[in-house]
Amino acid sequence: MFDVLIRNGKIVDGSGTPAYAGDVAVKDGRIAAVGQVSGPATRVIDAGGKVVAPGFIDPHTHFDVQLLWDGAARPALAHGVTSVVPGNCSLSLAPLKANDRKTLVGMFQQIEEMPPEAFTEAFEWTWEDFGGYLAALRSKLSVNVAPLVGHSVIRLWVMGEAAAKRAATPDEIAKMQDLLRECLDAGAVGLSTSFVDMDEHGWPVPSRFAEFDELDALCAVLGEYGRMLQCVPEFYAVDLTIARIDQLAELSIRHDIPTTFSPLFDIALAPDNAPRAIARVEEQFARGARVWPQMQTRPIDISFSLLRPSLFFARLPRWVQVLRQPLEARLAALRDPDTVQKMVADVGPDGGEAMMGRLIVRGGDTAPADLVGQTLSQVAEARGEVPALALINLSLEHGLDVAFLSASMGHEVTDRIGPMLAHPLVHIGASDGGAHLASFATYGDTGYLFSEFVRGSGAMSLEQAVRKITAETADIWGLKDRGRLEAGRHADVVVFDPDLIARGEERPVFDMPGDGMRYVRDAIGVDTVLVNGKVAYEGGAYTDVKSGVFCV
Amino acid sequence: MRAQLEAVIVSVEIAPAHDGAAELLVRLRHPNGGEETVSIDAEIGFRLMRNCGASDLAGLAGQSWRRMMNE
Repeated sequence: MFDVLIRNGKIVDGSGTPAYAGDVAVKDGRIAAVGQVSGPATRVIDAGGKVVAPGFIDPHTHFDVQLLWDGAARPALAHGVTSVVPGNCSLSLAPLKANDRKTLVGMFQQIEEMPPEAFTEAFEWTWEDFGGYLAALRSKLSVNVAPLVGHSVIRLWVMGEAAAKRAATPDEIAKMQDLLRECLDAGAVGLSTSFVDMDEHGWPVPSRFAEFDELDALCAVLGEYGRMLQCVPEFYAVDLTIARIDQLAELSIRHDIPTTFSPLFDIALAPDNAPRAIARVEEQFARGARVWPQMQTRPIDISFSLLRPSLFFARLPRWVQVLRQPLEARLAALRDPDTVQKMVADVGPDGGEAMMGRLIVRGGDTAPADLVGQTLSQVAEARGEVPALALINLSLEHGLDVAFLSASMGHEVTDRIGPMLAHPLVHIGASDGGAHLASFATYGDTGYLFSEFVRGSGAMSLEQAVRKITAETADIWGLKDRGRLEAGRHADVVVFDPDLIARGEERPVFDMPGDGMRYVRDAIGVDTVLVNGKVAYEGGAYTDVKSGVFCV
Repeated sequence: MRAQLEAVIVSVEIAPAHDGAAELLVRLRHPNGGEETVSIDAEIGFRLMRNCGASDLAGLAGQSWRRMMNE
C-alpha cells in the first residue's frame, strides 16, 4: 500500500530528459516508484494534464526569521518551493550570544525590512548556538531547510564589538574555525559572507573586515565537509566582481569546495557586465574551480515615494533641489505653487506623460485603495491634471506616503536573460525570499521562469527549466537525495499546470508580526505540493502538515 | 598642460538597483584610458551631485570621480 499515488501525470523528473506519461508512488516519505505504477494507495491524486516534477529549491533566501512562525515560508511553498536556503549574505540567527541580539537585529532589519515586532513578539529567542536555532525550528517546518551560517555572526561571537572594527588575530581565526565546525556538525550547509552589506547605521557588516587569511582558514574548514561558500561580491562594479570570481576560484580549488555568488543581473545600460562575469566563470570552471553565479529570473523594478529622496528624478534640476531637502522644507516647497509650477515645467511640454505616465500607484501605504494598480496617466486624467502635478498632489494629500512603481527597469530583456539563465554554469537563484519585504515581492520567480522563458521566449524547454531549479540546484549544494523523481529519493513533489504556471500580480499584505506589511505574489497554476511525501499544499490552501526537515 | 591624474566621469544614467531603488550608473575614464561602469546608491549619488555643484545628471560629466568623497 502506497501512501500517495500521483497518477496520469506528465513526468518531468529533474534530470533534463524528455517528459513522459506516468505515475509517481510515495511511501514513508520517499519515492517508491516512477513510471507505470499499479497498486493500492491511501491517497490517489489525479495529475491528468499536469506536470509532476521534483519540488523546487530556492538557494538564496532570508527566511531565517519568518520560519520561526511560518514554517511554510509563505508564499514560497505555494509556488512549488519545497526546500530553501536561508542564512545568506553573512547573516544567520545563530550562533549568537544573547548580548549581541540587538546588533544582529539591526543588520537583519536593514536587509529584510522586517518590523521590530518580528523579533520581540513572534517567537521566544531561546538559543545561542546553531544547534539551538535548528531545534527551535525543527517542529515548525513545512518546507525543507538547508541553512547557511553567517560569517558576520561567527565574527561577532568570537570578536565581540571588534568584529566590525578590525582584522582578526590568528587566535581569533582559530576560534572561528572551531565555531564553524560546530555549526557544520549541527547541520549548516555552508558559510555565507558579504563584501557589500551594511548595517542599519550604514556601517559595513563584520564579514567585510576579514582579511583573506581569515576567509581562507574558514574555507579550509568548509573543505573538511565539502560544503558551500556563498558570497556577495562588489556587484556594483564588474571588474571587482571578476576579481572576486578569481578569489572564489582559488578558494574552491585550494579547498575543493563549491562556491556561489549573487546577485548577477543584466542591465541594458551596461550590456557587457553580466556576459563578462559569466565568461570569467567559464574560465575558472575550465581550471577546475566551482564558482556558481546566481541569476534571478524576475526583472528589477524601481519603486519610490516622495518621502525619501530618489534618484529616479536625477535628471530634473527642480525636483532634485526640492526632494533632497529635509522633510519639512520639502513639504513646504511642494505646497508652494511657484515651485510646483517650475517642477512641472521641468518635465517638459507633455507634463511628464512620457517620463511618468506609466508609473503605477502601489498599495501598502496610504494610497487610496481605488487608485492602487492604476497608472499615473490614468490618475492624472481622472484628476484633470498632468502626470507630474498629479504625482505631487496625490503625494501631498497622503503625507507623501504614496509609493510609485516603474516596472521592469533592469534585467528585463527576455531575449538576453533567457540564454544566460539557460547557460550550464549559471545557477538560477538570488530570489532573496523573505527579504526587502516593504520594497517588492521576492516570490514567484519559479513561476516567472516557466511563463516567460519556457512558454514565452522558449529559451528553455520545460525539462531544462525544471532541471535548473531541482536536480541542478541539489547537485550544486550537495543536498542528498533531493531534486529528482527517482525511486528511493525524498518525495518532494510539485504538480503544476504547464500552460498556466506563473507568478501573480504583486500585492501588499499585512501578515507580518505587528501587522507589518510586505509585498507578495500569489502562485498561479500550482496544484499540489508534497514535502517528504506529505501533502503540504493543495487546491490553493496550505495543509497543517509539518513534514519539512533540515535537508543537508 | 597638466596630465589627467584621476578618473573622470564620462556619463551618468539612472538605473535600477538590486534592492528596487533608483541608482546611478556612472561611466568612468581612468588616466590610462581604461573605462568602467560603477553603480552608486541614492545617498552617494546625491552627495556626488552636491559636491560637484550639479543640479542634475548632465552636470556630472567631466567632473573628477574624487568628488564622490566628502568635501
